[in-house]
Amino acid sequence: MTAIQESIQKRAAELLESGEVTQVIAWTNGRFTNQTSPLFIQNAADAGKIVFNEYCVNTLAKYVLNEKIAGKVGVCVRGCEARGINRMIADNQLKREEVYLLGIPCEGMKDRETGEALDKCLTCTHKNPVVYDELLGAEVTDTVSEEIDKVRFAQIEAIEGMSREERLEYFNNVFNSCIRCYACREVCPVCTCRECFVDQLRAGWQGKQNNLNENRFYNLIRVFHIGDRCVECGECARACPMGLPLMELNRKWIRDLDELFAAGEEGLSDELDNTLGRYKTDDIEEFM
Amino acid sequence: MSVVNDTQAAASTGTETFEPKILAFACHWCTYSGADLAGLNRMSYPANVRVLRVPCSGRVNPQYILTALNKGVDGVLVCGCHPGDCHYVSGNYYAKRRLMAFRRMLQYTGLEPERFQVRWISGSEAGKFRDTVTSVVEQVRELGPYKPDPALAALIDSSVDASNPVLPEGGEA
Repeated sequence: MTAIQESIQKRAAELLESGEVTQVIAWTNGRFTNQTSPLFIQNAADAGKIVFNEYCVNTLAKYVLNEKIAGKVGVCVRGCEARGINRMIADNQLKREEVYLLGIPCEGMKDRETGEALDKCLTCTHKNPVVYDELLGAEVTDTVSEEIDKVRFAQIEAIEGMSREERLEYFNNVFNSCIRCYACREVCPVCTCRECFVDQLRAGWQGKQNNLNENRFYNLIRVFHIGDRCVECGECARACPMGLPLMELNRKWIRDLDELFAAGEEGLSDELDNTLGRYKTDDIEEFM
Repeated sequence: MSVVNDTQAAASTGTETFEPKILAFACHWCTYSGADLAGLNRMSYPANVRVLRVPCSGRVNPQYILTALNKGVDGVLVCGCHPGDCHYVSGNYYAKRRLMAFRRMLQYTGLEPERFQVRWISGSEAGKFRDTVTSVVEQVRELGPYKPDPALAALIDSSVDASNPVLPEGGEA
């Protein structure tokens, strides 16, 4: 960790000094113990502020979109960030040459309050960045995919095992707790629409009231819009101030699409290949 | 016409059986013609269904389906051309993938599978249109009215659409 932190600081200073990038996005210490927050530096002198420890919970990928206007951005990428960057390139939000990727192998992060591994890191399938310009530190080994799939889809299977009434009650509770702050949308590297459907007031898709109907509408349509592109960074569930299990909705799509159309994992390359954006004439048929 | 009057009469007295409202999205090139043919052949099917013509089944956004359910429809039926017959070549293939996954999602979050169904009905299949509509209406009638938000339904009269007020043209509300 310390070695990685030092190499990030060193490389960030060099990149800023040489003018190769105008800005570096990393992490720094937050206000409280074991808390970090994203850091944006423009001067090589500030490189010492960079921190990398086991509490770097923020996934930085989405920040690049706002920051790239000023020039090339250097950004630290772990597995989750790298897949988000790939996804944004595939979605035409970003060009590969607009970012300089400092790859960091990551063993998983911890929750600040409990000190235990983060939920999103327990189900991580790619601990090493899938795309980078240089790798700082030695690669770590990923958990075997069968084992991780058991953990990834354990909750989905538990919910599918419930009766319909139980599932309805379970999700009604989830949707009732939603305060529609749209934090899940803001942090998502896949939610990149300039104007989101919830902001189209005149079209009136999304009512402004906070009730079960509107919350269900928001959550189901959000997950429909991102379901076939989700890179499973788990930021939506981490950012949710109400602690809603949003990945249980995302993963349902991921698994269904994988079972029905062999979708596979997203964000592993920067080619555009959405499962719901293509079709095969011999797709499985159930509407006859 | 008489069915409509009967329904209204039943609703006012509140003694008769529940009459579901079904919204059917019908593709212009196949299902809508099929429904037309059913009419030409003097076939009878329940008047509970409201047919909404869309250019293609691929035009049916899942937002329409959820909005319809939220606004007081008891069941939604989406119909289009058989795969391979789409007027726009591929619209129904996209619709198929999308709606298969969306249907699983709705069931996962607790919707009865009968309330949202998809069928391919061609322009010559008047009988299939009649049979499909009849079976959907019967299934939803069994289930009873759809109550998306029990708390909200009790709070306001269900005939008032307070959940989504329409903005006046030309200015913000």
